[in-house]
Amino acid sequence: MSHLLELHGVSKRFGGVQAVDSVDFYADPGEIVGVIGPNGAGKTTLFNIVTGFYAPDAGKINFDGHNLVGLKPNQITRVGISRTFQAVRLFAAMTVLENAMVGQHTRTKAGVYGALFNTRNTVSEEQRVHSAAIESLSFFGERLTPRINSLASELAYADRRRLEIARAMATEPQLLLLDEPAAGMNPAEKEGLIELIGRIRDEKGYAIVLIEHDMPVIKGVSDRVVALDYGKKIAEGSYDEVAADPQVIAAYLGKAGSEESA
Amino acid sequence: MNLRQSLKPGAIGGIVVVYLSAIGMVERFQDRNVITGLVGLGVVLMLTTYAITAYTTARKSDQPLWTGASVGFFAGLLVALVTLGFEGLINAGLDVRGMFVSITPGLLETLEFGLDPAVGALVMVLAATIIGAAAGALPTLSDDLRSAIVYAVTSTLLMSLGEPILRVTLGNLNLPTAWLYELGGLTIPGLILILVVAFGARWWWMSGAEARRESKAHMPEGTRRTWSRTSLFLAIMGLAALPWIVGPFVSDVLGTVGLYVLLGLGLNIVVGYAGLLDLGYVAFFAVGAYAAAIFTSPASFLVTEEGQTFAEAGFTNLWIALPFVVIIAVIIGAAIGAPVLRLRGDYLAIVTLGFGEIIRTLVLSDWLAPYLGGAQGLTRVPAAPPELFDLRNPQHIYYVILIFGLVAAYISYRLVDSRIGRAWAAMREDEDVAEAMGISVVRYKLLAFAMGAGVGSLGGVFFAAKIGSIFPNSFGLQVSINVLAVIILGGIGSIPGVIVGAAALVGLPELLREFGEFRLLIYGAILIAIMIFRPEGLLPNKRRQRELHEGDGPAPLDQTEEAPA
Amino acid sequence: MADTAPTTQSSRRLRFERIPMRRIILIVLSISIIYGVVAGSTATLRAGVFTAEDWQSLFINGLARGSVYALIAIGYTLVYGILFMINFAHGEVFMAGVYTAYFVAVAFAGNGFLNSNPLLAIAILLLVSMTVSVFIAVVLERLAYRPLRGAPRLVPLITAIGASFFLQYTFRGLYGANVRAYPNIEILDGKWTVFGIQMLKTQGIVIVAAVVLWILLYLFVARTKTGRSMRAVGEDREIASLMGINVDRTIVATFAIGGALAGAAGILYVFLFNQVIFTMGFLPGIKAFTAAVLGGIGSITGAALGGLLLGILEAVGPNLFLTGAEIPSPNQLQPVIAFGVLVLVLIFLPGGFVGASEEKRA
Repeated sequence: MSHLLELHGVSKRFGGVQAVDSVDFYADPGEIVGVIGPNGAGKTTLFNIVTGFYAPDAGKINFDGHNLVGLKPNQITRVGISRTFQAVRLFAAMTVLENAMVGQHTRTKAGVYGALFNTRNTVSEEQRVHSAAIESLSFFGERLTPRINSLASELAYADRRRLEIARAMATEPQLLLLDEPAAGMNPAEKEGLIELIGRIRDEKGYAIVLIEHDMPVIKGVSDRVVALDYGKKIAEGSYDEVAADPQVIAAYLGKAGSEESA
Repeated sequence: MNLRQSLKPGAIGGIVVVYLSAIGMVERFQDRNVITGLVGLGVVLMLTTYAITAYTTARKSDQPLWTGASVGFFAGLLVALVTLGFEGLINAGLDVRGMFVSITPGLLETLEFGLDPAVGALVMVLAATIIGAAAGALPTLSDDLRSAIVYAVTSTLLMSLGEPILRVTLGNLNLPTAWLYELGGLTIPGLILILVVAFGARWWWMSGAEARRESKAHMPEGTRRTWSRTSLFLAIMGLAALPWIVGPFVSDVLGTVGLYVLLGLGLNIVVGYAGLLDLGYVAFFAVGAYAAAIFTSPASFLVTEEGQTFAEAGFTNLWIALPFVVIIAVIIGAAIGAPVLRLRGDYLAIVTLGFGEIIRTLVLSDWLAPYLGGAQGLTRVPAAPPELFDLRNPQHIYYVILIFGLVAAYISYRLVDSRIGRAWAAMREDEDVAEAMGISVVRYKLLAFAMGAGVGSLGGVFFAAKIGSIFPNSFGLQVSINVLAVIILGGIGSIPGVIVGAAALVGLPELLREFGEFRLLIYGAILIAIMIFRPEGLLPNKRRQRELHEGDGPAPLDQTEEAPA
Repeated sequence: MADTAPTTQSSRRLRFERIPMRRIILIVLSISIIYGVVAGSTATLRAGVFTAEDWQSLFINGLARGSVYALIAIGYTLVYGILFMINFAHGEVFMAGVYTAYFVAVAFAGNGFLNSNPLLAIAILLLVSMTVSVFIAVVLERLAYRPLRGAPRLVPLITAIGASFFLQYTFRGLYGANVRAYPNIEILDGKWTVFGIQMLKTQGIVIVAAVVLWILLYLFVARTKTGRSMRAVGEDREIASLMGINVDRTIVATFAIGGALAGAAGILYVFLFNQVIFTMGFLPGIKAFTAAVLGGIGSITGAALGGLLLGILEAVGPNLFLTGAEIPSPNQLQPVIAFGVLVLVLIFLPGGFVGASEEKRA
């Protein structure tokens, strides 16, 4: 059976480190997959490979019938994958609304001519961009919509995370990759996040893959969990199955107390 | 004790005066009368140093008038003492003339105010301390008063420095000038008049400020828009009327300013919108100029089948050649840009600089001399058919440049608010994230670069037309740096800023001959000062201002090192 | 909502976009350049315009100027390695030292000291030049660069450009606009023959001096505490300061060392070229930066090798590549070769020859 996103044997090496080692992975629409693993396990690297920032040394990546290997990040976004980043990376000097509007870039095509002469197509397209952006933002209730003209840098931390997700949603993706969305949140905010991710899946039907360290969050949203360690997939299944897997336990316990960079 | 805070600024002020003396600025500027019979520009330099030193010293603390004045007094005193020490060294026979060419008897004379050394020293101390006290007291005055005083003094200075334009303009309008100007500087009655009028005007303006602000805040949107549209219209009308008011000499200068505004708008797209530091912009300027010359000059190498040059065959029309030149420039811009635009900021800067130098070397070379004229350049670029515009007439070419400038400004303005402008803004902030949002960074950089190339070539065409012949020396790194300085001073990414920057950096030196040899020194100093104190420029674009001060505020965005590299 | 354009259309477009246009153009470009270079060279050699001695002397010439570039390039690379900025004004640091030393040299020539105690005189000149260069470099850092430590990269670069012009014209104001000829030091006249190769004494001295300085510097950076601090601050400024390294002082030291090398390079430069003028810093500065990038900016060895390579290319290149193609006055096109090399290296090898240093976003 064919999945929306399929990875086969994807590997990536950096110098002496095998960051991703022959990983198989898949995701389907309406599914939420959690990716866990100690620091340095290769989770973000995997995201970077899927989104085109790194080219894999080996392996196949298919999405919606397209081969992703060799595509540039902007092309991959066009094909229907979008993401958020580990450290929130918004366009700080742009407003909330403008950030979301940038997300609509791939779904539009106005060019120099349209911009200069204000053609009907361009004007209606701009309106469409505007309303699509508002729609993405309104998904977050009263959090972002009242502040559409504030600068992104003025938002509170949790709202910045929300904006980043809204921006990613504005690209009208089929697959949404979230990199540690719960980082830096307090328990109440994490609850909200769990509910939010579920709602995104229910209302939008995306496939969602998220990297997280916070186990309650993973447990709360994931339909399926994949565990990585040293670049290899070491377990896959429901949360309970993976949490009980001895290799996973060893990976976490074995790493406890030492510092590794992601 | 508040005197100690005068020490450092005073010493620095003194070093500044010594520096200005040692590089020859003081003596050279002294040739220019500011207030005829009273002070020359060299002396004004010194007096300004006293004032600024004292002002910055006193500004550090909110003080009563007496304290401000005394702090300023001592700051001024210190500056004077350092200068006198310097003078003393020279007078004591330290002959450094062989090394420091600018330390001449003429300099000494200026420093001594043309008087006997002892008397001159006394005058200096008096001047420094009095001005110091006044400038030091300035911050302690009420806002209105201070603003009015500063305004009056700067207006006087500007009126005096602007003598070449103003005297000619007034003459053109058949108004008498002898009461105001004499021998290049203000007359005493003129001085008093300006001081009083400027002070009064500013005072009156300031007192109405509060009321005006109120009404502006309460103005309905429709009225506001009409207001700004009308003012824009009036401004353009004013610009259009200018050549006839100021006469041919100043029109020529305005034409040069306009040329730099055009170039500035083009570079603004590259540097300001797309965030690409291009140090080789002169390359496109050169392409435009040479292409125009090659197409239209009878001395050109391009010949038709019959062996006539295009010119002789009747294709002299600059206007016909124009679109071809621009297209060629855009193609070259895309060709140069494609391989290098993905390089990081500093590397891109040096590479573009390299291209600029390569072009200059090529047009200068013997190898390409049969085509490009070599060191001799290309001559006899014809003015366009006189029926349309006589491009050799400074007043006419001004209009051509004005029109194209307005077009370029319009294009820039429309691009910023469009999907393209958003893409550029996103790229400037974070290229990787922009790419992740679906923006093809390479394509948009290329677009900006190619557009910049086109506009730059336009500048080159008009330059060739204006001057009638082109020589390789006009196409060096200096031009690129000039244009860069213009947009940085005015404000990166800001259209009105380009105009202000060009007027200041290109217009003023044209009118103030004394600046001539110090021009690039002043440019350099301005660049440094702007970057340190106000990187967003004089008339900043709001968004850029935010972008440039991102690092300063209390709520920084998390931008730690992230995997996509 | 998860609706994109019809798959076939986007597939077609993707397939088109996959055509590696860039790579094709680059390959075509490289082939044409290689062809041009080889064709030009063979034509030149076949025409036999230059003898083997000619090539030898051109080569030595290149090695000598390359040594000067190398020393200046190291200054660029050191500052870049620690601050990630191009010190555009480094060429003026170079100029300031040697131009100031000129007056000392003239004084020495005047009272005969220059030729009676040449070694001591040269030592003093070196000292003066290096001191002035260090002074300018340190002042530059303190006044122009330090306030801008956290700024986006465009800002210090523009400041550096401003500083470059400012310094150039300051020295024009101070010392005048004329070209000055350095007084002749008799002991430096004449030739040496080393391993059968003939060279001017000056060339030999320059090459040897540069090598010595490079070795000293390399040892310094590798072995001393300051050198270690420099490398640490370059790696991670915050952590270095947490480890107790005085970041400010380390940065000043970096500028000072770069300045000292530039000052020394200045004296070596006048051994070869004998002239000073206030604009003399510009071209060597650009070329030295090119050399630093060639070798991989951030690497001292790279900068040195890049400098030598560039010097040789400059001296030998125009004659070798262009004479055969019957291009008149090939030496006029020297800047084209220098910058052409820069552009090509950056296009094909963004990290330079010896290899890139860690690319960190400052």
